[in-house]
Amino acid sequence: MTALTVPARPEEDDTRLRPVPWRRMAGVTWRQHRYALLGVVTLLGAVAVYLWIAGLQLHRAYAAAIACHPARSPACQDLVNTFNGMGTFLANGSILQALPALIGAFVGAPVLARELETGTYRYAWTQGFGRWRWTLGKLVPLAVAVTAATAAFGALLSWYYQPYLATPGHQALGLSQTSAFNGGLFDLREVAFPAWTLAAFAIGALAGMLIRRVVPAIVATLAVYAGLAVTAGLFLREHYLTPLLTTNLTVPGSAWILSQWWTKGGTTLSQSTIQQVMDPVMQRLLPAVPPDQVHLYKLPTILNAEQYLTQHGYTYWTRYQPGSRFWPFQWIEGGWLLALSALLIAATIWLVRRRAT
Amino acid sequence: MNMNVVEASGLGKRYGGTWALRECTLAIPAGHVAALVGPNGAGKTTLLNLAVGLAEPSAGAVTVLGGRPAGSPAALDGIAFVAQDTPLYKNLSVADMLHVTRNLNRRFDQPYAQARLAELGIPLNRRAGKLSGGQQAQLALTLALARRPRLLLLDEPVAMLDPVARHDFMALMLTAAVDDGVSVLLSSHVLTELERVADYLILLSRGRVQVAGEVDDLLASHRVLTGPAAEVDRYAGRPVVHAGRAEVQAHLLVQATADDPVPPGWTARTASLEELALAYLRQPGAAALHGPGRDRGTEKSEVTR
Amino acid sequence: MYSDQHLRVSDAERKAASGQLAEHFAAGRLDQAEFDDRVGRAISAKTRGDLRGLFADLSETGAPTVPELPRGGGGSPGDGPRGPGSPIEFRLDAASGVPTYLQLVHQVEHALRLGYLTLGDQLPKVRDVVASLAINPNTVLKAYKELETKGLTAGRPGQGTFIQATLSQVALPELAGLRKALLGWLTAADGAGLDEDGMVALFTSALRDFHERRSGSRTRGGAASSETEGVA
Repeated sequence: MTALTVPARPEEDDTRLRPVPWRRMAGVTWRQHRYALLGVVTLLGAVAVYLWIAGLQLHRAYAAAIACHPARSPACQDLVNTFNGMGTFLANGSILQALPALIGAFVGAPVLARELETGTYRYAWTQGFGRWRWTLGKLVPLAVAVTAATAAFGALLSWYYQPYLATPGHQALGLSQTSAFNGGLFDLREVAFPAWTLAAFAIGALAGMLIRRVVPAIVATLAVYAGLAVTAGLFLREHYLTPLLTTNLTVPGSAWILSQWWTKGGTTLSQSTIQQVMDPVMQRLLPAVPPDQVHLYKLPTILNAEQYLTQHGYTYWTRYQPGSRFWPFQWIEGGWLLALSALLIAATIWLVRRRAT
Repeated sequence: MNMNVVEASGLGKRYGGTWALRECTLAIPAGHVAALVGPNGAGKTTLLNLAVGLAEPSAGAVTVLGGRPAGSPAALDGIAFVAQDTPLYKNLSVADMLHVTRNLNRRFDQPYAQARLAELGIPLNRRAGKLSGGQQAQLALTLALARRPRLLLLDEPVAMLDPVARHDFMALMLTAAVDDGVSVLLSSHVLTELERVADYLILLSRGRVQVAGEVDDLLASHRVLTGPAAEVDRYAGRPVVHAGRAEVQAHLLVQATADDPVPPGWTARTASLEELALAYLRQPGAAALHGPGRDRGTEKSEVTR
Repeated sequence: MYSDQHLRVSDAERKAASGQLAEHFAAGRLDQAEFDDRVGRAISAKTRGDLRGLFADLSETGAPTVPELPRGGGGSPGDGPRGPGSPIEFRLDAASGVPTYLQLVHQVEHALRLGYLTLGDQLPKVRDVVASLAINPNTVLKAYKELETKGLTAGRPGQGTFIQATLSQVALPELAGLRKALLGWLTAADGAGLDEDGMVALFTSALRDFHERRSGSRTRGGAASSETEGVA
């Protein structure tokens, strides 16, 4: 019997098929991920409000403390103590370290994992858009959005921590200071914070594609991120530029001290050796103290001990990164994180292109 | 239009050590509603996934719409696929699903989609996950049809639907076939309703194609012979696909036409599509491949005891 | 198919039917006695089936079979006598074993015999049949083609398929004679020991046989559900 007569449809020039324009993905991505993005904005917004309020207080206290004259009077010391007393957030600020990980994991991992877990990839990857273009058209806008939001947040964090960053002379006043290289502070700054978030996002995307289930992918992302962050903080960061050496006893507070050691005549001396040298000297200074407790009293007289040793031919070496290298370090870290993220996203797209089921 | 909407040659897919589909050679012509039938695990979903580019072949090749490689942009443009359990974004509203589908495709007939949804009584602002099973299936089908595809692929679309929903779904699909000349390939493991709906049959069993051809041709080239059970073993006429025997009476499904002679004492009649399919499914070794370009000769099968 | 057969009719419809009968009487198709009889039946008619029956053997040129009765089927309900759509609507008996396309053919023939369809009536559009029955369009096309081959219908491009001939209506005396012969056969069968089911089986098998012999060469591969007996 005859087949159904197919009504003539004008043949499209299929060999020169114009792909669906990229901008169409914007609406699609928004509709599918609006809650995740709004969640990120809400979370950052809430913390930002807190930081803004606390920061204003902090800055006021700081301004009052440094403007006070004379510096050593009890009234001024009170202001310094007030300022120092607000330092709790600095100590607890490491909670903020979790933000890039959480944002990256919760926004990045479900992009692919949820499609694969719920089976909606069978819809999404059979539409005319094409599956690798779909993936790229989703990951890039999300990455940009997440990076932009956290960059703004990083700027706010930097503003908040401004009073703590060591400036010459403030240590003399007794104000709590820390180096900008402080491990808990470095990756919360304007460049590092968004860079780490982007890296977490990229790890999440790849994990989602490999693991294909949302919750395991999020967990894996957090684990990998934690490993990477610890490795970077403990081992990689100090080597971005060759550290400087100095024999100066006073190192500026803004510097990041990597290691310090004594030498005499070119040989490195261990701490116990130094102690052996210093104990009889200390014994002379503090005869009332029993010999085995002498070293406990080192602290108040440390400057004297160091002066004593240097006068006697010992050299105190410090390996450090100067405070002026802070921004180059930020950009170096941001740079390799960006490269890593690009690589991971490219790997994700390559996987999507290669296999689906 | 004389093109083949799906062409496969030696197509095979292996998952780990097992071949889900093997040596599949098909040429489904355009303008038909083709039914892909087989028991669970026969390879229907695998075949559809290969045709739509969601899986890569382990052997052979498959092209669609007259030679376009499966999964290529040209292929995806002209094919719409509704996978098993009609995947939709459950958290998105119906209007959102329309928006998403419109933006992921070159062609989308928004007025058609909205008209069909209004006819079906599916509200635009309800979340897709809150629709009933039948409504979800209808939504998925409407979205697929609004893309104005040339080929529509459906994987067990009505398995989970009640009879009314099933009827409505099929009606929507078939009217699209009439109106727009959409060719359809749908898979099912339920035979009874396919007789009304399909005019091309592909029977898959254990990963291999057993039967492929137009329903009219298949029905014209098979007969059911009824006769004494004692004479079954002596029957040496046309190839027997399957023999069902009782104490006294036996039925043979043979590959014969109405012109072929009937042994004395036997009666012959045309088989129903369901009888034909069941007979082949019970005999994994038998095959009847009637697609275009295939020769009509088929292998002799042994009469079962 | 005969979806409105059992629907009740209104006074307006009865009046219209009477008017139509008057036209037939004026044209000379009915004599006085028949006219009076039929008008009486029209006035006391309860259902649409009743009214239609009055016009069963009245063919006309151009006028619809039953005036001012809304058409069922493919068109929108509530249309006037010349509204769009077909007078009939198809039904499907999935369990009967009879192929779908044949069921459609038989329903059209049945409608022609009973006067639901007459010359010029349009068959339901393919799309409408597909939409209401959820069957393959080719099946409908096959049925319509079969009807065309039988000479009963003709397709007008762009418009649809229309009835172009009626089935020969067997005259009443002939019907009576056939009925008598049938009753004789039934008596003989009963005497031979067949029960009702046996009679039906024998009759159906012989009918198929007759049908097969008559149309065996026309359809390729044999008509559906045909049976052939081997030579005993």
